[in-house]
Amino acid sequence: MSEALAISGLSGGYGEQTVLHRIDLVLAVGSLTALIGPNGHGKSTLLRAISGLLPRVSGKIMLFGQSIERLPAHRRARAGVAHIPQGDLLFKEMSVEENLRTGGFFRSKSDFARALDEVYGLFPRLAERRHQRAASLSGGERRMVGIGRGLMQDGRLLMIDEPSLGLAPAVIDQIYASLGKIAASGRTILLVEENPARIIGLASQIVLLDDGRFVWTGDAADMQANRSLFETYLGGVAT
Amino acid sequence: MNALPQIMVTGLTLGALYAVATLGLSLIWASLRFLNLAHGAMLAVGGYAAFAVATNFGLSGPLAFLAAMAFGALMGWATFWGLVRPILDTRDFETNILIVTIGLSIILENGLLQIFGGQPYGQPVSVPGALALAGIRFPIQNMVIVLSAITIVLAVSLLLRWTRIGLALRACAQDRDAAALMGLPVTALFSATMALAGALTAASGVMISSITQLSPLLGDDPMLKAFIMCVLAGLGNIGGAIASAFLLAIVEVMAEFYFASRWGFPTLLFLVIAVLIWKPNGLFSGREVQRL
Repeated sequence: MSEALAISGLSGGYGEQTVLHRIDLVLAVGSLTALIGPNGHGKSTLLRAISGLLPRVSGKIMLFGQSIERLPAHRRARAGVAHIPQGDLLFKEMSVEENLRTGGFFRSKSDFARALDEVYGLFPRLAERRHQRAASLSGGERRMVGIGRGLMQDGRLLMIDEPSLGLAPAVIDQIYASLGKIAASGRTILLVEENPARIIGLASQIVLLDDGRFVWTGDAADMQANRSLFETYLGGVAT
Repeated sequence: MNALPQIMVTGLTLGALYAVATLGLSLIWASLRFLNLAHGAMLAVGGYAAFAVATNFGLSGPLAFLAAMAFGALMGWATFWGLVRPILDTRDFETNILIVTIGLSIILENGLLQIFGGQPYGQPVSVPGALALAGIRFPIQNMVIVLSAITIVLAVSLLLRWTRIGLALRACAQDRDAAALMGLPVTALFSATMALAGALTAASGVMISSITQLSPLLGDDPMLKAFIMCVLAGLGNIGGAIASAFLLAIVEVMAEFYFASRWGFPTLLFLVIAVLIWKPNGLFSGREVQRL
């Protein structure tokens, strides 16, 4: 099995409005694919369609060979989809550790303890704040809890929606350093990012989404060779 | 004679009754964000369920109490799947569910009227007698009510705070989408919340009818007061609702004793209006309402 995720003819949206138009996408096992594109053109909607949160979807979604498009969101999560949404959707009245416990809800006791140690190893700040209410955390700490909770799920496919959104550059550096470690662990990752500079050296495949359609696919070298394209869509590619 | 100790005994008993009555209402609000206007009718059904099994099958008090709770749980579960789930994702859910639960309330109360008639009955699930200590009279049933209420409130608190199912229920209450992304079966957990609330409401019905009388409209007054307590605490704030229940019960009993019995309920209404002007989010909501 070399395909972690295979999407074909995926369309969907909210109510009468169609946001995604016949999307085809394949993610290789253990790869990191970056989904980039202008704001409000369907990147987060695509992740919601894969995880089952989008109310109206048509098309096929295969996860490690298993068809999941008819499954409700909670069964897709159990099948291996770990979605870290924009804004994190933390349980604000729970502590940091309780949030992580919800992520590892279906793990065995010993497996849970090992995963918790891993998350605290990756984000030592969370270990210091383990009993603090999520609502009282800073933006960067919340993002760490969101990613940590997604890692606790032990998803075979990890989808992370704009981990750098609204954070200070130093915190973004810290988050991306952690993402590098997570990617090196062999997980299949689908990463949404608006800043192309952040994904160079990290993503093996880059997909440009505009108005709910894929308009370009390549790797980091291709992206840098097509600077004018990215300047049109995103305002430039930093090197 | 100093009446204060006797007022406290009565106030604590009433507070215990209100606390359990409030718990079911507050659980549903905290989790599903709707006001169950059939709460009072479900409370009455719980009281009649204990009465029916005790008189028809000769069940002992504790067993009849547990049977009523089981029936209440079944009623809560069936209400979720039969009435709440079909409209849960509709755009006007908040309005629709009010109408649906008013309808359910009418059906349940008239059902009780049809089955048991309008005449009041005494609740057989009750312990007669009283103890006298230092001039204060302690009816045994009142003590049973206070102990049962404390046990129930503690058990629910421990369930929500320290168990895996409690963690899952709190997750669903705080964010449905996030809970689903964690793999939690949100719909099934909502039905479990309504089953738990149904069991608590039935328990409350048995307790209230044990010191009053059974009638189809038994639950209307407790439901109104439970709602006042939820509002006073901040809707969805379960711990605050329990504290409000005891506080308001003592205030009510004092108002009835020192002024006249007709001043009890207006005093509660005056208090809730004052609190809403002073702290619109409720008495116990410091920064943000603490949900589940």
